[in-house]
Amino acid sequence: MDAFVVMVYRQIKRFIRARSRVLGTIFMPLIWLIFFGLGWSKAFDFPYAKMIFGGVDYLSFLVPGVFAMSIFTGSLMSGISVLWDKQFGFLKELLVAPSSRKAGIAGRVIGDSLVIALQGLIILVFSLIIATNIRITGIVPAILTGIILSIAFSSIGISMALKMGSQEGFQLIMNFLLMPLLFLSGAFYPIDTMPDWMKYLAYIDPLTYAVDASRYFLIGFSKFSIFFDMVALAGLATVFLLVAMFLFERATIE
Amino acid sequence: MSDAIIVENLVKKYGDIEAVKGISFKVRKGEIFAFLGPNGAGKTTTINILTTLLKPTSGHALVAGHDVLKEPKAVRKKIGIVFQEPSYERELTAYENLYIHGRIYNLKGKELHSRILEMLRFVELDRFKDKQLKTFSGGMIRRLEIARGLLHIPEILFLDEPTIGLDPQTRSRIWEYIRDVKKEYDMTIFLTTHYMDEAEQLADRISIMDHGKIIAEGSADDLKRLIGSDIIYVKFANGDATKDIDLSFAKSWKLLKNDLLEIIVDDASKAIPEIFEKMNERGFKILEISYRKPSLNDVFIHLTGRDLRDEESRPNMMQIARRRFSGRR
Repeated sequence: MDAFVVMVYRQIKRFIRARSRVLGTIFMPLIWLIFFGLGWSKAFDFPYAKMIFGGVDYLSFLVPGVFAMSIFTGSLMSGISVLWDKQFGFLKELLVAPSSRKAGIAGRVIGDSLVIALQGLIILVFSLIIATNIRITGIVPAILTGIILSIAFSSIGISMALKMGSQEGFQLIMNFLLMPLLFLSGAFYPIDTMPDWMKYLAYIDPLTYAVDASRYFLIGFSKFSIFFDMVALAGLATVFLLVAMFLFERATIE
Repeated sequence: MSDAIIVENLVKKYGDIEAVKGISFKVRKGEIFAFLGPNGAGKTTTINILTTLLKPTSGHALVAGHDVLKEPKAVRKKIGIVFQEPSYERELTAYENLYIHGRIYNLKGKELHSRILEMLRFVELDRFKDKQLKTFSGGMIRRLEIARGLLHIPEILFLDEPTIGLDPQTRSRIWEYIRDVKKEYDMTIFLTTHYMDEAEQLADRISIMDHGKIIAEGSADDLKRLIGSDIIYVKFANGDATKDIDLSFAKSWKLLKNDLLEIIVDDASKAIPEIFEKMNERGFKILEISYRKPSLNDVFIHLTGRDLRDEESRPNMMQIARRRFSGRR
């Protein structure tokens, strides 16, 4: 259990120390909110648009999407950084230590997801200033959703990093996974107005359910039932955390 | 049991490439044992197998009495490692880095705290304990990594190229620490290096490794005795001495200049008095006499036909890049 606790400690300590990195990670989502959000929000300022966007203005519709996006990308990147970490970094320490590898990597995932959810909180607090239809009461459950989402995608990132072994796969994943998953998730536009073939892809995109749940908590509108969203997310997080733990247990540094 | 490490017919293949080609060796308890060889000889691969980071293709390795394949956890408990590539948190302080390491090794509370302070004192970094590592020099980082490897007082300490990329003063300082570790903690130390002077300065015994094979093993003196010769230079004042003097005790000799004689012998300490005697008998006056022991580099040339220093002077860009870019995140 020590390895778990100390890895959580390490991730949080690192986060507190590296202020510039924190600023860097919340910069992109804020750019999306301000320029993309405010920009389109004026263009979509007519009654039919409000209907498509769940009864709120486009900027408020976008906030849960950008929140989920920032957690999703942050988690996937942090997971994949294990690719370098196991060869040159601290994880090598964990690999040669007698303590439980499973507990260690789980600690890293949990530590990361707390840190990344905290970044999400900063984004939500900022969005309260510029967007008009965000429910303050929804922030806490949205952050919890964010933590679960982050556990899922940190674990997915780590699992891929441990399986890939080389760094060539990195760019591939960024191109073929990150952007499509984002666009299919309904973060920027509703799933209902997508062409049918795209809808089916959206349904198998795990990020869809995180966006939907965040939207439920933050603007009171969701496509699926919140229960279904949360079960899907929690299931995904559990399965991939176990996969990451299993893979890390058997990891070598070929 | 007097062997800390026993390795038998160890083989590691990466696809078709055989990085380690069936090596066997033993490391005695309490000695400093060095793997000497050029980059790509298979030293790091071997260390990775011994530290349970890599699985061998075939062969056996017992580390601190435990099989690396069957009981990796038992091995991990008893070893400490300083990696070739730095692996530390640059945003965290020296103390915090050691704290995290200690907790991973199940140390805690007061014991951990006093152990951290002891090790920081040992490598003379106690003044910098609350400084973030991004303010440290390369030498300080290495010292901290040594402190970290020692923190849980392992039975065996592995050092992979401990002074790579460091300046000469820092290198000799690191050597002192390594010698002190052996003295103070009675630890077995296994190190890899491509620096001859490092192996010679530190190691009780040396294995010379090349292309995945151990090509010679023994103390530095044992290895030099493979060439079996000392080289003596005699400078004398009057005339050509070689005509009149019986040099049959020498393995070979050569007149380098009119007044400078090179004599290769098995044992200079015995040959020099004899040379004096014979020169005296004939009335030759010796101006200077000196002798040179063959270096480990001479041994490497003798065994492989290549110069270890050539490999050394060729910078390994990969390693340099790794040292530069790692630890950035």
